[in-house]
Amino acid sequence: MAFNILIVDDSPAMRRVVRRVVDLSGFEVGKYLEAGDGIQALSVLYSEWVDLIVTDINMPGMDGEQLLMAVRKDSMLANIPVLVVSTDQTASRIEGMMAHGANGYISKPFMPAALSEQMNLLLGGVPNASF
Amino acid sequence: MQASELSPIIADCCSEVLDAMYFTTVLEVTHVNGTTIKPQPEAFSFSLRFRGDLRGTFGISLGSSSARTLASNFLGEDEDSLSSAEIAEVVGELSNMLCGSIVSRIGGTRNYVLSHPEACPPEDPFPDVLVSGLETDTGIIHTWVALEAPPMPVVPQVNPELAAH
Repeated sequence: MAFNILIVDDSPAMRRVVRRVVDLSGFEVGKYLEAGDGIQALSVLYSEWVDLIVTDINMPGMDGEQLLMAVRKDSMLANIPVLVVSTDQTASRIEGMMAHGANGYISKPFMPAALSEQMNLLLGGVPNASF
Repeated sequence: MQASELSPIIADCCSEVLDAMYFTTVLEVTHVNGTTIKPQPEAFSFSLRFRGDLRGTFGISLGSSSARTLASNFLGEDEDSLSSAEIAEVVGELSNMLCGSIVSRIGGTRNYVLSHPEACPPEDPFPDVLVSGLETDTGIIHTWVALEAPPMPVVPQVNPELAAH
């Protein structure tokens, strides 16, 4: 089964890295979708089928926390798993995002295997990682 | 926090981030005052501010050759295929990761917000703070953190006439 993955980060470089790590993880990806902030992400979510959202927190406009809350409030989107990838390593931030309904949290810097492991938990796939 | 306490934290965080995501090893770290050194020619320099319980500015500067190699390692793409804009994006993301890592470490569980990395003119001098020079296998990377003193509490001004009532 191929998964559509929405990567939300204001850094195009970081979006490329997440895409590359997912590729190396061996998940079968149907489509990579990208957004530079929460508003763009919601626009994508209302127009495309998305199996997993991988989002940063600190972004201009609508940040990752606001995006997460908007997704969880919308009955059409509420069940999509959200994996947070952020530089913020403070316990209060991690607890806050999990309380808002995040399904996983990875602190940057991360090892490729950490992202693969979280995706495996959330998507239930059997990846064939090549790193 | 004293500069002497901050320096090892900066070195640790930089080593961790560079090793994990840029496949770059920090070989040696030196600390000097920023006024005694100059940025490298055609440097890629970024700064960002953080606020919350901690306030201050983080900066990074590295030569173009080092920046190109780091960008290549980060993106997994050939050095020659990368444009200056792509290299700048990667250095900006590096500054974001380093700052987040350092502030999380010195701030413990306290909340903070990071601004977005801003490119600085390459000729901008270093500030008058302790600058960490990280000698890596891709060249020297300079980083610095300038913590601001917390704002003074505002003492409410009470009109003595009103206070009497």
